[in-house]
Amino acid sequence: MRFAEYVITGWVLTGVVIFAYWFSIVQRTRRAERSLPVADQDRE
Amino acid sequence: MRLLKPQVSTALGWLSLVSLVVLALFGLWGAPPDEVQSDAQRLMYLHVPMAWIAYLAFGVTALASALWLWKRTRSSVWDRVAGASAEIGVLFTALTLVLGSLWGRPVWGIWWAWDARLVTTAVLFFLYLGYLALRRVPAPPETRAKRCAIAALVAFADVPIVHFSVTWWRTLHQQGTVFNAELSAHIHGVMAFTLWFGVFAFTLLFVYLLDRRYRLLALEEQREEREVDQAIAERIGTSTAPPAPPSPPTPPVEVGASG
Repeated sequence: MRFAEYVITGWVLTGVVIFAYWFSIVQRTRRAERSLPVADQDRE
Repeated sequence: MRLLKPQVSTALGWLSLVSLVVLALFGLWGAPPDEVQSDAQRLMYLHVPMAWIAYLAFGVTALASALWLWKRTRSSVWDRVAGASAEIGVLFTALTLVLGSLWGRPVWGIWWAWDARLVTTAVLFFLYLGYLALRRVPAPPETRAKRCAIAALVAFADVPIVHFSVTWWRTLHQQGTVFNAELSAHIHGVMAFTLWFGVFAFTLLFVYLLDRRYRLLALEEQREEREVDQAIAERIGTSTAPPAPPSPPTPPVEVGASG
């Protein structure tokens, strides 16, 4: 593959950034859920 | 406090993941290299869908902001949708800029140019970064939602400028491959399929992330409210409680006493 360093960097970087964003949301959601009683979590 | 049912959200998450894996297979191996740009063009399958989904995210932010501003539809749901969507839009715009730079280096020979499309996209990124900063400025919820809704509508004016920049000013960035002035797509076969599949995969990912981010915003607001309520309750409790009886005087300590 020509220009492999640019192509692979782009694809890997995209994967890593999206995974890190998703993971941060999951972790922060868990932390927030732990700090709230279950009854409050589904309140509108 | 959810946009989607938990089962739907989970299914969407898995579907997004599978779609992104399929996209990687087509983008890196399935689609043929471009005649002119060779394999560097494989970055298009990320760069273009991501830019389009960033437009979509900012469009959702603008729509939700308008719905919040309109008194008949005003609801904190729209404020949260606007905030969640803008954050995803900023992430996708940042990736669009970085991927564009990685693509530009082998094709143009430079990482960055003061080109109309690049500059207007960078302006878009900073406008919505400012919007996210505005959301963090402490204020009563109603005031914050109002100022953010107005800011989101103003910032959205840059989206059509970004899109039409390649038509209005002929600089370095190529013109639209699909949504161009002639409305005739200059891409066909497996390459077109991969591009459209990328749009599909990133749309799924956007909806999934929007749902997750919305729930997180709602939980954080809930926690904040609870903390404020607790602080007020404690304050009221201490101000109405009877004064504590004076403590008995402590006997003086004998200096030099052993023991």
